[in-house]
Amino acid sequence: MPRPGSSERGGAVCPQRSGSKQPTTPADNYYLARRRTLQVVVSSLLTEAGFESAEKAAVETLTEMLQSYISEIGRSAKSYCEHTARTQPTLSDIVVTLVEMGFNVETLPAYAKRSQRMVITAPPVTNQPVTPKALTAGQNKPHPSHIPGHFPEFPDPHTYIKTPTYREPVSDYQVLREKAASQRRDVERALTRFMAKTGETQSLFKDDVSTFPLIAARPFTVPYLTALLPSELEMQQMEETDSSEQDDQTDTENLPLHMSTDDSGPEKENASVLQQNTSLSGSRNGEENVIDNPYLRPVKKPKIRRKK
Amino acid sequence: MEGSMAERGAHVFSCGYQNSTRFWFPCVDSYSELCTWKLEYTVDAAMVAVSNGDLVETVYTHDMRKKTFHYMLTIPTAASNISLAIGPFEILVDPYMHEVTHFCLPQLLPLLKHTTSYLHEVFEFYEEILTCRYPYSCFKTVFIDEAYVEVAAYASMSIFSTNLLHSAMIIDETPLTRRCLAQALAQQFFGCFISRMSWSDEWVLKGISGYIYGLWMKKTFGVNEYRHWIKQELDQIVAYELKTGGVLLHPIFGGGKEKDNPASHLHFSIKHPHTLSWEYYTMFQCKAHLVMRLIENRISMEFMLQVFNKLLSLASTASSQKFQSHMWSQMLVSTSGFLKSISNVSGKDIQPLIKQWVDQSGVVKFYGSFAFNRKRNVLELEIKQDYTSPGTQKYVGPLKVTVQELDGSFNHTLQIEENSLKHDIPCHSKSRRNKKKKIPLMNGEEVDMDLSAMDADSPLLWIRIDPDMSVLRKVEFEQSDFMWQYQLRYERDVVAQEEAILALEKFPTPASRLALTDILEQEQCFYRVRMLACFCLAKIANSMVSTWTGPPAMKSLFTRMFCCKSCPNIVKTNNFMNFQSYFLQKTMPVAMALLRDVHNLCPKEVLMFILDLIKYNDNRKNKFSDNYYRAELIDALANSVTPAVSVNNEVRTLDNLNPDVRLILEEITRFLNMEKLLPSYRHTITVSCLKAIRVLQKNGHVPSDPALFKSYAEYGHFVDVRIAALEAVVDYTKVDRSYEELQWLLTMVQNDPVPYIRHKILDMLTKNPPFTKNMESPLCNEALVDQLWKLMNSGTSHDWRLRCGAVDLYFTLFGLSRPSCLPLPELGLVLNLKEKKAVLNPTIIPESVGNTQEPVNSTNNHGQSVGFQNTEDDHLVKETASSISGHQQGVKRKADMPLGSPLEPGQILEKNEDSKVKLKIRFSNSQEEEEIDMDTVHDSQAFIYHHLNMLERPSTPGKEQSSGEINMHPVSTAPLSVFSKESNSSKHSDHHHHHHHEHKKKKKKHKHKHKHKHKHDSKEKEKDPFAFSNSPASARSIRSPSLSD
Repeated sequence: MPRPGSSERGGAVCPQRSGSKQPTTPADNYYLARRRTLQVVVSSLLTEAGFESAEKAAVETLTEMLQSYISEIGRSAKSYCEHTARTQPTLSDIVVTLVEMGFNVETLPAYAKRSQRMVITAPPVTNQPVTPKALTAGQNKPHPSHIPGHFPEFPDPHTYIKTPTYREPVSDYQVLREKAASQRRDVERALTRFMAKTGETQSLFKDDVSTFPLIAARPFTVPYLTALLPSELEMQQMEETDSSEQDDQTDTENLPLHMSTDDSGPEKENASVLQQNTSLSGSRNGEENVIDNPYLRPVKKPKIRRKK
Repeated sequence: MEGSMAERGAHVFSCGYQNSTRFWFPCVDSYSELCTWKLEYTVDAAMVAVSNGDLVETVYTHDMRKKTFHYMLTIPTAASNISLAIGPFEILVDPYMHEVTHFCLPQLLPLLKHTTSYLHEVFEFYEEILTCRYPYSCFKTVFIDEAYVEVAAYASMSIFSTNLLHSAMIIDETPLTRRCLAQALAQQFFGCFISRMSWSDEWVLKGISGYIYGLWMKKTFGVNEYRHWIKQELDQIVAYELKTGGVLLHPIFGGGKEKDNPASHLHFSIKHPHTLSWEYYTMFQCKAHLVMRLIENRISMEFMLQVFNKLLSLASTASSQKFQSHMWSQMLVSTSGFLKSISNVSGKDIQPLIKQWVDQSGVVKFYGSFAFNRKRNVLELEIKQDYTSPGTQKYVGPLKVTVQELDGSFNHTLQIEENSLKHDIPCHSKSRRNKKKKIPLMNGEEVDMDLSAMDADSPLLWIRIDPDMSVLRKVEFEQSDFMWQYQLRYERDVVAQEEAILALEKFPTPASRLALTDILEQEQCFYRVRMLACFCLAKIANSMVSTWTGPPAMKSLFTRMFCCKSCPNIVKTNNFMNFQSYFLQKTMPVAMALLRDVHNLCPKEVLMFILDLIKYNDNRKNKFSDNYYRAELIDALANSVTPAVSVNNEVRTLDNLNPDVRLILEEITRFLNMEKLLPSYRHTITVSCLKAIRVLQKNGHVPSDPALFKSYAEYGHFVDVRIAALEAVVDYTKVDRSYEELQWLLTMVQNDPVPYIRHKILDMLTKNPPFTKNMESPLCNEALVDQLWKLMNSGTSHDWRLRCGAVDLYFTLFGLSRPSCLPLPELGLVLNLKEKKAVLNPTIIPESVGNTQEPVNSTNNHGQSVGFQNTEDDHLVKETASSISGHQQGVKRKADMPLGSPLEPGQILEKNEDSKVKLKIRFSNSQEEEEIDMDTVHDSQAFIYHHLNMLERPSTPGKEQSSGEINMHPVSTAPLSVFSKESNSSKHSDHHHHHHHEHKKKKKKHKHKHKHKHKHDSKEKEKDPFAFSNSPASARSIRSPSLSD
């Protein structure tokens, strides 16, 4: 009996070890008895199908499949019944389950009444194992008056009772600022020192290059980009401080045509502005919002000149 | 850098100062020659060509690899207002005005969106005040890198520096950029649409555009900012005129005689825009708009705007007359036309005003003092003028004086006349005062004042001379300290407050301290006044150092305003939502660092305070960037540095470093290194760090060494960083008298790819010269003279600003006479055969102190010979050369001398008999020379006829076309090489006009065809050697700078 426990058993703990060790606990006995019955079923079905003998491994595999199948029917039926707000599954739940699993239900009565079927004895009646109760700590609180009695009990007190720690976390403003400042300074210093150590440096003192190391100035290929664009850190800050700015920052990253018309936001106020501003709009119509700008027009294909 | 040209952000654009369009296509390059335009540009398919007028269509070429942009400009426009920018631009259609399109370089679109989001309001403003529509059917703004100037306005488009772009997090740049946009737009109306008749009318255009820009400033930033700006501009122009001897707005050149030169006090000629010193031109624009404001004061703003409207409507009527080009002259403005419409509209005679400020240079210098005559209850005001110093003029006319008395504020208009110095002004109030009574101010407000500081006998609180700044003047007025204090506290005009602050510097008393502190704390007070008060307070505190009580000035104030309540040594986390307090927060530490204790050291307390500000600076919760704030904190650190105490000139090493300086240096190192990892906007922090390091070097804390700065000055750093680094090198050159660094700088002037940097180096050298003309210096040697002389005479003719910069520097270093380091010329006597007289060579006569005593004609001559050969000189050359054999050799030697840069881009400028300036462009691939008249010609028709007569074979427009084709060919073979701007326009400056030729260009003028003369003129060629490279350094030079006839 190598691996009798399977996940289908609803998470019930199954402390079976592989090997032929005899089961000891009542729970084990309970499961084993049912398993054995299944094996008998499988064997009888095999006999019915005309097999005279079967390898143990084959029987085990088929048992496993059968068990899975039955477990799935149970699980699925439970879901269906709970779905309709019941706790007891009805026949129709089972039927729906079977249909869902691709089983042709109409063949079932005929199959049940087939002539060569074998009768199998029910498994021995053993008691359902009791799940050992978790260690209780303290007394559960009774329900306060406003909670109806049918609600579940309070959980164990240790799950919600505050346990004081030994030290209060620092919340003094001054200390926090001090800490943040020195932390940042240390990080910055360590980082710049590291960069200076690993790269080229310049120094203000000829005799000492290590006390005030300056990272060497390196020319950029496009100097204006680093100088004008906000750094990633600043962008991040912007997003944190003001989310309305986000759009401006992100939507235009990599437009292949580098085109944007930005007509989303201010379009509403535009109507009035534009009407006042007719001096510029010789061709425009205040009603239409289609932008007619020569730079947005598609590039024309060249006219094909006929050779003379 | 990898990638295609578009990926590298390669771009070209036209640039230049004044009319320089002829550098990129043949044209009549004058502001007074109008025509309509059809422009075609064929560019790589990834590029966009932005030019003037309407984009009619864009068509692919047959191979589909290029596009042709067709532009049509139907409004008659001068060639000088034609421009072009080509690059892989990102396109943004203005969301408010769809006819306006903005362009920027790749990746900058978010910044462009934010930066231009304001532009429509400027449009609305100008259209409203001018009651005139924007004249062109479209408008384009292009933001490009390595701009020649920050703002350049052309017909229906403006080219801006890309460095004006900013994100929403940047506070300081926002108003500056908006000002640039507004300036550019003002010039669209006056400057592009309305052009000028001649150079001497330039002031009208600059004046009007500057004036309406000022109105926009007033509306946008408020009256305080506007008045502050006017005062600033006024101070600038006054300082410049007093320094140089005057700025003339409307020069009249009678007969071309040297003696009539109206600007004899200057070392350059103002006859031509291209010989002006850049600084002079800036001041010229400044004066022009101030004078417009004076005219407004005289005729009222309503009339002023009517005049502008009249000019514009005349012009727009004219511009719509497509087939009557004679009407187009209405689109040109002249001084006389402008004055005529003023008198038509207003009916007032402003001739005296024009005569005083426009036809004449100089400003007025008033000295005022007063006495109160108790018996007569009269204020005896004495106003003196200094009109003998250079740059001054005598003022006769009305002058407004405002007297604040106990009973109110009263305006008096004094008549300043020839000989009257004293003016009696009756007082309204009796000196006995009613203590309970409130005191009415000028604006009707009534305030309580503590009058205990007053002189018990006098009812006068304060007196202001010319409070409206309706004279271009400098006023030095004497009144007692308590009067200045009252003026500071209670006068509501920001200009008066600023004047009071400056005056209080001379009165270091507890009362002044109190007045300044009160102003600092007053939140209703204009922030610039409060900022100014910070510096004044620092100065007063230093003067009072021995009696000063309490904590260092401003410290407790800063703590109260910006530090946490619970822990006063920690600054609050940054929140710059209130800009006034942001500016104050930035300024206070900088001013505090100027405090000195009795040992003339910065108090330890202050230094620690600033270091704490840096330490606890926390910007995480802030909506705005703190880069300018941090930069100013570094400036504050630099301000706290005092000279090192050095014992027997010991070598500066790390071991003997002052512990305070060690702390400062640690901060600077960390900031500078962090910039490499997280660069700040415009690298403001790097800039401040470099400046601070130079301060440390200069004060002897750190060994003086230019190596660091030189590495930051390399091409490839951001321009602000380069300028800061170069400034440090310039300073090093001066302090350490290093010939090597001076050479390094001058090499950069010749070779740097960025025109602005080249200009700026010369500018900084002029402002902070390594030596001056009356100084002995080891740097002053013959080679340097030669080098500069070459720089201003050859190789720089394509960049006037640069050449004039070289002239300025030469003048600063050597003055007008022969540089003292040169050997004496061989010729003691100069014979002038034409005038039949002999004079002692004036170059031998040592220059007397101050250039003003120089003989006038020598000055003129020099001024002329810098840029141009003048006729009389030519005669002299020929005549002396023929009579004295030695000269010819001398000249030849100079002519053979290798020139600093190839001749090709240099245009040979010559002055010929009819005093027109001729220009020859020598194309690189055709040996043809074109002669184009480029003077701003009044009578263009006559001029063209004149030339038609001279033509040996008239060239047709078809001919012109073909010459364009020749130039176009190199492009089609190697189109990529055109944009070899290794990420930048590295070659632009040297060859910018080639670049443009390489784009196919066809110009068809609708009305005026241009006339060109194509000929090989051998006659002119023999003169060429004379046209430049006559260095005074040559001992035999017959044409040394101050040779006179």
